[in-house]
Amino acid sequence: MNYFPWLTIIVVLPVFAGSLIFFLPHRGNKLIKWYTICICLLELLITTYAFSYHFRLDDPLIQLAEDYKWINFFDFYWRVGIDGLSIGPILLTGFITTLATLAAWPVTRDSRLFYFLMLAMYSGQTGPFSSRDLLLFFIMWEFELIPVYLLLSMWGGKKRLYSATKFILYTAGGSIFLLIGVLGIGLYGSNEPTLNFETLANQSYPVALEIIFYIGFLIAFAVKSPIIPLHTWLPDTHGEAHYSTCMLLAGILLKMGAYGLVRINMELLPHAHSIFSPWLIIVGTIQIIYAASTSLGQRNLKKRIAYSSISHMGFIIIGIGSITDTGLNGAILQIISHGFIGAALFFLAGTSYDRMRLVYLDEMGGMAIPLPKIFTMFGILSMASLALPGMSGFVAELIVFFGIITSQKYFLMPKIIITFVMAIGMILTPIYSLSMSRQMFYGYKLFNAPSSYFFDSGPRELFVSISIFLPVIGIGIYPDFVLSLSGEKVETILYNYFYR
Amino acid sequence: MEHIYQYSWIIPFVPLPVPILIGMGLLFFPTATKNLRRMWTFPNILLLSIVMIFSVDLAIQQINRSSIYQYVWSWTINNDFSFEFGYFIDSLTSIMLILITTVGILVLIYSDNYMSHDQGYLRFFAYMSLFNTSMLGLVTSSNLIQIYIFWELVGMCSYLLIGFWFTRPVAANACQKAFVTNRIGDFGLLLGIIGFYWITGSFEFQDLFEIFNNLIYNNEVNFLFVTLCASLLFAGAVAKSAQFPFHVWLPDAMEGPTPISALIHAATMVAAGIFLVARLLPLFIVIPYIMNLISLLGIITVLLGATLALAQKDIKRGLAYSTMSQLGYMMLALGMGSYRAALFHLITHAYSKALLFLGSGSIIHSMEAIVGYSPDKSQNMVFMGGLRKYVPITKIAFLVGTLSLCGIPPLACFWSKDEILSDSWLYSPIFAIIAWSTAGLTAFYMFRIYLLTFEGHLNIHFQNYSGKKNSSFYSIKLWGKEEQKTINRNFRLVPLLTMNNNERASLFCKKSYRIRIGGNVKRGALITITNFGTKKAFSFSYPHESDNTMLFPMLVLVLFTLFVGALSIPFNQEGIRLDILSKLLTPSINLLHQNSNDFEDWYQFLTNATFSVSIACFGIFTAFLLYKPFYSSLQNLNLLNSFEKRGPKRILLDKIIYLIYDWSYNRGYIDTFYSISLTKGIRGLAELTHFFDRRVIDGITN
Repeated sequence: MNYFPWLTIIVVLPVFAGSLIFFLPHRGNKLIKWYTICICLLELLITTYAFSYHFRLDDPLIQLAEDYKWINFFDFYWRVGIDGLSIGPILLTGFITTLATLAAWPVTRDSRLFYFLMLAMYSGQTGPFSSRDLLLFFIMWEFELIPVYLLLSMWGGKKRLYSATKFILYTAGGSIFLLIGVLGIGLYGSNEPTLNFETLANQSYPVALEIIFYIGFLIAFAVKSPIIPLHTWLPDTHGEAHYSTCMLLAGILLKMGAYGLVRINMELLPHAHSIFSPWLIIVGTIQIIYAASTSLGQRNLKKRIAYSSISHMGFIIIGIGSITDTGLNGAILQIISHGFIGAALFFLAGTSYDRMRLVYLDEMGGMAIPLPKIFTMFGILSMASLALPGMSGFVAELIVFFGIITSQKYFLMPKIIITFVMAIGMILTPIYSLSMSRQMFYGYKLFNAPSSYFFDSGPRELFVSISIFLPVIGIGIYPDFVLSLSGEKVETILYNYFYR
Repeated sequence: MEHIYQYSWIIPFVPLPVPILIGMGLLFFPTATKNLRRMWTFPNILLLSIVMIFSVDLAIQQINRSSIYQYVWSWTINNDFSFEFGYFIDSLTSIMLILITTVGILVLIYSDNYMSHDQGYLRFFAYMSLFNTSMLGLVTSSNLIQIYIFWELVGMCSYLLIGFWFTRPVAANACQKAFVTNRIGDFGLLLGIIGFYWITGSFEFQDLFEIFNNLIYNNEVNFLFVTLCASLLFAGAVAKSAQFPFHVWLPDAMEGPTPISALIHAATMVAAGIFLVARLLPLFIVIPYIMNLISLLGIITVLLGATLALAQKDIKRGLAYSTMSQLGYMMLALGMGSYRAALFHLITHAYSKALLFLGSGSIIHSMEAIVGYSPDKSQNMVFMGGLRKYVPITKIAFLVGTLSLCGIPPLACFWSKDEILSDSWLYSPIFAIIAWSTAGLTAFYMFRIYLLTFEGHLNIHFQNYSGKKNSSFYSIKLWGKEEQKTINRNFRLVPLLTMNNNERASLFCKKSYRIRIGGNVKRGALITITNFGTKKAFSFSYPHESDNTMLFPMLVLVLFTLFVGALSIPFNQEGIRLDILSKLLTPSINLLHQNSNDFEDWYQFLTNATFSVSIACFGIFTAFLLYKPFYSSLQNLNLLNSFEKRGPKRILLDKIIYLIYDWSYNRGYIDTFYSISLTKGIRGLAELTHFFDRRVIDGITN
């Protein structure tokens, strides 16, 4: 073992490097852009280097762990570490954030602040995934809200302030429950507050208390994830935000909720989880159908994609609720896969919005002729989003399906019904995603607007969309890329349910 | 010779490089790639020919020593679940491989010419190769998950190819409709796969059959649940093969380029459903209800497809309904348990129908130059007629295809259809009567298409006076009636999903645009038509025969159609009854012919053949009577008069005929029903949830 603090560097580097942006000489946006991109790439390289040389796949325990006493006063430690569960989301964060920075190339207004916020987001997102301490998790969770709020409120559409306020109200409301839960768990029992995940995982609580904690955490994560009926901030936010922000929101932030569900609700509160899991599955199933059919009724392109990502979150919830090895693996795979697909769809929607300046689907049409490359990429990715085999979404959903039917917790009849309803979602998905692509690209339309000359995507945009597309198809063809990361950890988490 | 089996995993991957290279080329170096366009066809055809040689070799192996070869690799490894990839070669696979590759190569050669002026030439070839890859993968796959994967990929290729001309809103709607309808089938397929995994714990075919038979034998399964799962599994096949409740996508799929209709929507992809049922027949055969369901749906589709094909105006739609009906025959045969007959008909029908579609493509190609590039015109049989003089080779090819499909003896479909019909007598007389009379209907509508297209005069030149004379001319009268209805139809039949006014307007916009292009290309011809009117225009603008590259594949298919029937002709050799097909399929299931000796077989064969040929001839004769070209009908005026004299009876007959035509023309009102019930339902649901979301959930927070 070496004791080089890799994780601390990974978490802290972007925000420090980002604050240096304000000291850069005023020489136009280009310098800032290149600086930010370089930082992002450096960070991504460090992350991959550290993970590939210092992370062992067959070890389900925490690795690269660091433990420093930060504040003596109330026992606050800087504990970071990763395991099979968090390595995937961290790599995803690095990847998507770098690409989102690249995607934000056209942003010129307040670019200093914008790029600083992007880098701050970077830290804020890796933070919760890598923290091993409950309070640190909470602080990181909150820290990441600030840049998102600023990004939402300063760049985007006309109603951005409304949606940013809505976002902050929702998440702040969720955070209160999170805080209550964190403090409750931390202060329970002994005199010393215990916030370490490892010790907490082995602690057991009275059932009633555990259920209360569970509900608290569930609400917090349900806002973030989102789980119906706490999802309405998402379409508004996505509808208004700039598309690079959307990429971060859809690609990473939504996954934080799901990650929290696994990390805290499943790992720390197993009894309550096995009580609640039938409800989770029911909610997840309803969510798949509900969000998919709402998505059909949307006129706004980005809102439609936003509802589609709510619908896909349903699979994660079901996978988490199934309490099987297979189902949980599927949920993690879906976290990663939807991170790519959702981000890519928002990116493409954003780039085509840049050219069309149209938001509503029924005003669009016939874009395939002027924009063939965007059309191709959008077509491929909407296929990926409707779980076409060979793409990552299919594998994830299939594994979730098998997770639910192999689950021993439920009876025959409920399993049949749940599977059936989930599969109906499979019919609704192509309806909305294909009609979206049909309304945007198919058909024929004469553009008589004076400024209607289009450029097809340039090399930068092509690069972004293809580099998102490659992992999608890679995971689809060989899913063990991701499954091998999480497999061991998932077994240890589930071990608790069967032998305790 | 085990090597061939060992390396046969490569089969699906051989055509794969082409779509990848073309796709990357188009994305990164569009101009350079487009300049090389014809160059890309060579590797395409070459790779597919390699696969063909491979599969012929495999088939020879199978004939010599029928064996099943299976090999699997693990795909995902986990403690609790593992998926495997592999390949599975048996006689069924080798038949399908040969079918796909031969038709595929011919269609590729054909479309090199057919698509040569299209903007999306390269895109077309990329999609085609992708389709070939996934279809080859489908037939060689060794477990249900793999089947599902390739099943969906094939559906996606079909989606892409139907929507190939994406500027047409009709095509855009059609491709979405096809995908969604297929997805409903896939929904059933996936649930069925999951259900059987639940019951048996395996995806591999052989393990699955073995475990399942043991379970049934020991009575350890819930019978209702098994039937449910099996029928869900069957739903996948129903949607893919365009059987009765899910057939609506197939006629609309004709919006794609014609080579696609030949390859995907006639020969290979729609046969995938038949393939799946044939593959899983050991599973289905132990569940009696499922077999009944299969044959019932088969017979419904046979009848429905044939009646709907009666009054189609679009040549390709007519052929599409005929495809549907023929697929119904195959389903019927499978449901009866005569595996051999079904597969035999699959092969013969694939070649004949591919031939017919390629022929119709050639006709469309030659008509397009005259009537314009809108599918409403160039595929409209009203404007055709008398093409016999202008496109003689196509005419011969089309006639051979038509005769084959009607079941006229020396041609391919006769043998297979006769086998199905004779088996159906053994199965159930009612089904047999329906199947038998549908054979007559088949002959009728096929000859209707043939006569309207090739006989008589070129109708486009005397449209104006065909309107006047329609009172005396029965078939044109029917057309006249329908033409008034077309306008209504366009607006009444709401497409599956939103087609808003913008798009509809743009459709017309586009149409005129296309016609204008046509006008530019053939300006001289168009002007002559308008100036000189009817008679003199013949010498100036007439449809021309297609190029050799288009004729060559058609002629090869004619050869296939002529001689494929020989597959099942028993030739006595050293006293043993021997025919290639049964040699391939000996170990498979045959419910109906347990014990039959040679003599009785021949006798039965002859009687059945006489029956089916006579009904086919009757159908052809009726078609001649009704759709005989205008000028020659004058000679038979007496006959017509004798019809006229019958007075009140005739009115009744008229009414019935009109009723049938109406039903048929409006596609049995099934599309309308679907569009009203399902589409409206889904849209209503969407509105409702949207409203709920806005007002209730969001309202609380606001």
